[in-house]
This record gives sequence, C-alpha cells and structure tokens, in this order.
Amino acid sequence: MGDVEAQLRKFQKELSAGTVSLALLAVLARAGEPLYGYLIAKELERTGDGVLSGKQSALYPVLRNLEGAGLLESHVEPSVAGPPRRYYRINDEGRTVLKQWIAAWNATRDSLESVLEGVER
Amino acid sequence: MNNEHNARPLPTTIPEYLEQLRAALSGADPAMIQDALYDAEEYLRSELAEQAGKSEAEVIAGVAGSYGAPEEVAEIYRETEVTVNRALRTPLPGRRPAPPPPPAAGVAAAAATATAVPKPRSAAARFFGVVLDPHTYGALFYMLLSLVTGIFFFTWVVTGLSLSVSLLILIVGIPVLLLFLGSVRVLSLVEGRIIETLLGVRMPRRPAYTDRSQGWLARIGAMFTDGRTWLTMLYFVLMLPLGVAYFSVATTLLSTSLALVFAPVAEVVFDQPVGIWVDGVKMASGAWLWPLSIAAGLALLFATLHLARAIGRLHGAVAKHLLVRL
Repeated sequence: MGDVEAQLRKFQKELSAGTVSLALLAVLARAGEPLYGYLIAKELERTGDGVLSGKQSALYPVLRNLEGAGLLESHVEPSVAGPPRRYYRINDEGRTVLKQWIAAWNATRDSLESVLEGVER
Repeated sequence: MNNEHNARPLPTTIPEYLEQLRAALSGADPAMIQDALYDAEEYLRSELAEQAGKSEAEVIAGVAGSYGAPEEVAEIYRETEVTVNRALRTPLPGRRPAPPPPPAAGVAAAAATATAVPKPRSAAARFFGVVLDPHTYGALFYMLLSLVTGIFFFTWVVTGLSLSVSLLILIVGIPVLLLFLGSVRVLSLVEGRIIETLLGVRMPRRPAYTDRSQGWLARIGAMFTDGRTWLTMLYFVLMLPLGVAYFSVATTLLSTSLALVFAPVAEVVFDQPVGIWVDGVKMASGAWLWPLSIAAGLALLFATLHLARAIGRLHGAVAKHLLVRL
C-alpha cells in the first residue's frame, strides 16, 4: 500500500516541479502589483492549492531562478514584521514567456485529455 | 523517509525553527544556508504578523503544514540547489560541472539517476579548454578589478574603524560605529555578488540572518561578538595587498605574453627592431626568432590563463571562508 502512495507522491512532485514556474508567473502577472514571497505563497494557497504538491518553501528558490533568468524584477523594502522583503514583479520578457508557456500548457492539457478519455476512472 | 521528520519535536519559537533548519542543512553550501534562513524568516515573520492573535508556537505548528517543517524545508532546498545548478550552468567543453553538494538521504536516489557521469578528457583538451571557460576571463577581470576594489575596501575599513573608535570618546562615535558596521555587511554582500558573477563561486544572495526578536542593544552586541563581522573586515584589509598582487601579476604576464606573440608584427608593420638584447648587446635577431617568440608567447599566455583560473578558485574559497562562514 505504501508503495502506491509513494508512487503518487513522486508523481505529484514531478508534476509540481514542471508547473510551479508557470503558476508563479501567472500569479505575478495577474496581481498587477509587486508581491513578496509570503503573499505569493498565500495567493497560490488560496487559488491554486495543489500546484505546489509539496511545501511553500519550494517557491522561494524558484522565484530567485525566475529572476535570474530575467523574467522577474525585484526590489527590497523594509518591513516592520521581520527582515526586509523582496518584492517581485513580472517584466515584459516574463509576460512574453508566460504567453508561450500558457500555449504550451494548453496543448499539453488538450492532448493529455484526449489520451485519458475512455480510460476507466 | 517520513519517520525522521517526526523524530524531532516541532520548534516553538522562530529562532528555534531557524536553528533546526540550520542544523538540518548542515554540510550544505553555507551560501545556500544563508539564503534558506532568510527566506524562512521572511515567511515566518509575515505569518506571525498576519495571525496576530495566536501564539508563536501555534503559528509555527501551522507553518509546518504549509511552509514545511525544518527538515522538509532543508530537503527541498538541497534538491532545488542540485537541479538549479545543473540547469543554470550549461555544460561547457572546457569545464566539468561542479559536483553537487552531498544530498540528503532522501535525495540520493533522485540525484543519482539524474547525474550524468562526465567523460574523462584528454590532457590536451584540459589544457586548451581553459580558453573556452568563461570563469577564466572572469577571474582575469577580477584580478584587474581587485586593485580598485581592494584599495576601496581597505580605505573604507581603516577609515571607518579608526574614525569610529577615536570618536567613541564622544557620544557621536556610537552611531558612526554602527553605521560603519552596517556598511561592512552591505559591502560584504556586494563583494559576494562580484565574486559569484566573475569567479562562479556560490555566494549568498541575501544578507546574513539576525535575530530580530531581541532588543536593539542585544542586536548591536551580537554584531560585535559575531566572528563574521571581524572576518569580513580582515578580508577587506587583505584585499589591498591581494589586489595589488593580482593586478601586478595579471598585467605583467598578459603584457609579456602578448608582446612576445606580436613581436613579429612590430618588426613588420612598425619597423621596430626585434631580437634578444642583454645589457644593450644584441645577442640574436632575425626572422628565425619569430616562430620561437610566438610559441613562447602563446605558452606564456596559456599559462597565464591557467594561473588566473587557479587564482580565481583560490580566492573564491578564501572569500567563502571569510565572508560566509556560519
């Protein structure tokens, strides 16, 4: 039984590894204002629970990578609650990439659905 | 694999959580640990501010479900670091990818399947591959740049330290000293970014973690007892002699090797006499010297590139020990 569960967890992990960048870009594109890590995590938790099958700590490194790849811009603002927060904002290149990713995602989803059709649930 | 997560009791305060996270990450890249602690603190403090009514322990218990328990977070960061390093550092013909940091028990299996075994390369490929390695030129540029940054860091630390210490007999010395210590931390981060860009050594992307639950005085005191403050200053002072040495070595070797390579051009195009003189007495000259001169120049040039890369690695290691030791 544990084996089946482990397989499921592994699959969920792989799914989220492939989609978390897309989800983060989408959240930031929709927000319209700069968000910091915690807010992004909460937004994702509210609207897209399950995208991050794992834990929310996984998205901080991903945010840094997206910034490193030039898709996000960031600035630091001091906060009363804790350490200064890094606010992320999607830039034009990020929006272009997001458009392409959405198209790729739609294509993947459509083809997957047609493959999955007829499989016993 | 889940059993080990439950082995330790959940922390009840934020410093405890961060301490457990640091313990769980022990052995990993110190720069990554600094980033992970910073991220975790931002999340925890935000969550605590959001849920004002609850106690710290309750908030952390909730966070263990959403953000992850310290051990889970540690595992996530180790995994991400491995995959990110592999994705970001495109493999180059002149360079083997750095071995991933020792993965946690749970990650070992995943990492093993994904790590491609690099092919052993011939000695010639290793020797000439240095030309294609961007870090060679980064290191060379760093050696030239370090004269400027070295003078600046040295002046900053010596001026700041002597100014604030001598002003301590007046009350204004205290804010000056605090400003100076803060500036040293910022400069340390800046130098880290320069080193990571030019030398390719992973350095922190976030400032060092400070415990914000303590009062002002305690935090100021912590700055003095933190060994990193003093090691950073030592590094900045060291940067002057190192910078001068790096700059001299780089310019001397580069100009000598390039002069040797282009000596025939000087004779042909600019009509400058080329040959070997000892104490003003001509020992040898003529066209037969040209290939020798070019060969010697190329050999010296390659030796310079190798030396630059080696110095870059060495300096990166030194910087890592002095600037990000945890």
